[in-house]
Amino acid sequence: MSASAHHAEEHWPHEPEKATLEGRNKVLGFWLFLGGESVLFGTLFATFLALRDQVGDGPTAAELFKLPMVAAATMILLVSSLTSVFAVQALHRKDVKAMLNWLIVTVILGFGFLALEIYEFVEYIHEGHTFTTSAFSSAFYTLVGFHGAHVAFGVAWITILIVQIFKKGLNFVTAPKIYVSAIYWHFIDVVWVFIFTVVYLMGKVG
Amino acid sequence: MAHTAHTVKRYRGLMDWLTTVDHKKIGVLYLIAGALFFGIGGIEAILIRIQLIKPMNDFVDPQTFNELITMHGTTMIFLGVMPIIFALMNAIVPLQIGARDVAFPFLNSLGFWTFFFGGLLLNLSWLIGGVPDAGWTSYVPLSSTEYSPHHGVDFYTLGLQISGIGTLIGGINFLATIINMRAPGMSFMRMPMFTWASFITSALILFAFPAVTVGLVLLTFDRLFGGNFFYIPNGGSIVLWQHIFWIFGHPEVYILILPAFGIISDVISTFSRKRLFGYSSMVFATVLIGFLGFMVWAHHMFTVGLGPVANALFSIATMLIAVPTGIKIFNWLFTMWGGSIKFTAANLYAVGFIPTFVMGGVTGVMLASAPADFQFHDTYFVVAHFHYVIVGGLVLGLFSGLHYWWPKMFGRVLAEGLGKATFWMFYIGFQLTFFVQHFLGLTGMPRRVVTYLPNQGFDTMNLISTVGAIMMGIGVLMFLYNIVITSRKPANASNDPWEDGRTLEWTIPSPPPEYNFKQTPLVRGYDAWWKEKMDGNTEMKPAEPIGSIHMPSPSILPFFMSIGLFIAGLGFMFAKDEFGSGIVGFLFNNYIISGLGLLITFGCMFLRSVIDDHGYHIEKEELEDKGVKA
Amino acid sequence: MATQQLTSDDTKRRHKHEGPQKHIIAFIFSIVLTLIAFATVGAAGEVNPTFTIIILLVMAVLQVIVQMGYWMHMKDKGHMLPIVFMIIGAFIAFTCIVMGIYWVWWP
Repeated sequence: MSASAHHAEEHWPHEPEKATLEGRNKVLGFWLFLGGESVLFGTLFATFLALRDQVGDGPTAAELFKLPMVAAATMILLVSSLTSVFAVQALHRKDVKAMLNWLIVTVILGFGFLALEIYEFVEYIHEGHTFTTSAFSSAFYTLVGFHGAHVAFGVAWITILIVQIFKKGLNFVTAPKIYVSAIYWHFIDVVWVFIFTVVYLMGKVG
Repeated sequence: MAHTAHTVKRYRGLMDWLTTVDHKKIGVLYLIAGALFFGIGGIEAILIRIQLIKPMNDFVDPQTFNELITMHGTTMIFLGVMPIIFALMNAIVPLQIGARDVAFPFLNSLGFWTFFFGGLLLNLSWLIGGVPDAGWTSYVPLSSTEYSPHHGVDFYTLGLQISGIGTLIGGINFLATIINMRAPGMSFMRMPMFTWASFITSALILFAFPAVTVGLVLLTFDRLFGGNFFYIPNGGSIVLWQHIFWIFGHPEVYILILPAFGIISDVISTFSRKRLFGYSSMVFATVLIGFLGFMVWAHHMFTVGLGPVANALFSIATMLIAVPTGIKIFNWLFTMWGGSIKFTAANLYAVGFIPTFVMGGVTGVMLASAPADFQFHDTYFVVAHFHYVIVGGLVLGLFSGLHYWWPKMFGRVLAEGLGKATFWMFYIGFQLTFFVQHFLGLTGMPRRVVTYLPNQGFDTMNLISTVGAIMMGIGVLMFLYNIVITSRKPANASNDPWEDGRTLEWTIPSPPPEYNFKQTPLVRGYDAWWKEKMDGNTEMKPAEPIGSIHMPSPSILPFFMSIGLFIAGLGFMFAKDEFGSGIVGFLFNNYIISGLGLLITFGCMFLRSVIDDHGYHIEKEELEDKGVKA
Repeated sequence: MATQQLTSDDTKRRHKHEGPQKHIIAFIFSIVLTLIAFATVGAAGEVNPTFTIIILLVMAVLQVIVQMGYWMHMKDKGHMLPIVFMIIGAFIAFTCIVMGIYWVWWP
């Protein structure tokens, strides 16, 4: 791989993430993983949908959710998805500086989303909606928490990648890593689209 | 090309096995681990059968009996046969597609160690803290803290969770390998059947295991953190667990059986000296079985009361699976038809597989009929059915595959005479054990009972069944003895020891060098090696000149990553236990142990991300020194 | 994959990098679809709940298609296998959801 990495200086292909066999494997393998993740979230959504009316003595979804906060979280994640696609475009141009900037913005937005989510959870707990309150609350925290854990993992991952790019620069080894992390980030956004629709908005409708 | 020489530390002895990323060595590791767990599961089976040898027996107490049946099922399915399947996939699939390596050698190693430590965690339950006792399906509420207050089910959830991660990683690795790493000319429709079966099985793993991951997470949350998913007073649903378990559980059955189909296809075709009859219909049937496998889960739940519409739907979908399976059976028969058949030990197992599997399939269709299932449900008829499929199908297939590929994996042909004797011992033992269980079930003996009253018509058949089980045990011991005596012989198997090899693995030395193919072969048709033989060639046409070969470097990280998960699992399990006031209690109760475990795992992931794996090169000269092609 | 090897070759010819326009358009689409969804719920009371839920789901699916197509590059060449595997994954996820809605509770 080192040989092709030196090569990178001379020629930067349009899709550097797929320039090496390792890169192609990584991108393909990651897509396969996302196929599995779809089933993972599908099962979590199924659980949530099965249990969402089982509120017991706890608050119902309609009483609990505050749409402005959800809308803010949605906007943050949506913008971060856009910044992450800009980072990939910069990657394709081999514009390292722009790429790093976009990645840093993405990470900051990711942190913003997490902060909002933690704030939201704390708020709910004060309103008597804890993990053990009802089947609905357990399912809610598990589904949204799984997504939040994915965001947290993504934030940590992209941060590590930013540091790596600073140290090693952009080459055929690091390019697939950036590309794959961006795909992951978009996938998280896609899952969030279903979460705000199915959990929050449909929860408000009843 | 000037290579910057990266000196890579090459390990020897134990460290070599702990750090290896070579798919052939990982295959051997899977085989050893699988054999270990298969042995444990087998002993559990024999203890169960001894308890049931006569009415009102008190060989084991009811609690132990529950533990034995739970651990027998769980161990055999998740830790016994799955790794042996992965052993053969690792050892053979890259060779069959003409690849030097798998797509993700590091992940391959990680998959193995995660599986292994998960299995270890599960079996550790025999030594500490209580054994799972809620059946291999762990139905709630039986598996809830209310009815299973000790840590048994925690070992089940966390052990399976960790080993499941390993299996999922393995599945992704094989999908990517088969898609991206095929030699030039090896199109999808030229792949050997075992590779095809591995491909579909890996896809099923990819889509089925996330479901059980979620199911186990929910059960863990219920048990450890007071969740309400399956706790009825707070609105939980026990039917939900059954659905999630079987959405995974039914594809799991096909994950197990499809590789056996692949093995049987390759073995029968080789030893009939004929092209596999109806290759493309075979591929089509495999894909179709894989797809239908996801659409039939609720046939395990006919008696739950989903209503006539759902029951009818799942009943019909289940019966549909008989069609592609039937296609396969007839293809095997037609492959043998008119062939010059050699009854080697491998082929005996393969041919023995066909009628047994047909029986398992037919009882399956009987069970698929929802009204009839109300009668069969939870009787020994069901036990007989799935053992005909899993033992009579999968285990015979695995023995066949092990005999067939043993020379390729270890360079030594297993003793044929002893192998055939083993087959008869195992096969007759198998039929004795399980054939009578159909009738036990039809006479009304429920499954999972610790004992039964005399003179209900169960006595003789249970005795026969136990005798058969002991014969199967002797058969397995004979197989192990065969391995021992074979390993003392010189490793002198030729490239193509059966002389009728058809696929690429038989074109390279036995066992293959670490880079598999000195030159990537050019594949010119289905049964690539047979085609070259028929054209009068003695070796494959190379697709590239001899050049230096890039290899991945070994790594200890997968081992530590898995140990981290193992420690974290134990930490979470005992976090709420009383330890007195000692330091151990402090460490567990404050989640320090579990945190430490996760820290090890994520730390290793971090290291893996930041340390570039440059690998090393095997140079051209080195290849020519030892590169002997037959 | 042959197709994937080809892409790097033939893009050499047109080695022209696309601007941010289409991604910004995708972003605007996403925002609009999100706003419609939130507005529909905001107008609850005037709109029939079943109808609201249908609108919500349609908006979500449209948004996911837009995002996957543009941002995850699934509409680009060489993405046949990712599409196949994501569709199978989505299909099985959908099966699970049908289970969760219809077969867990019944009268």
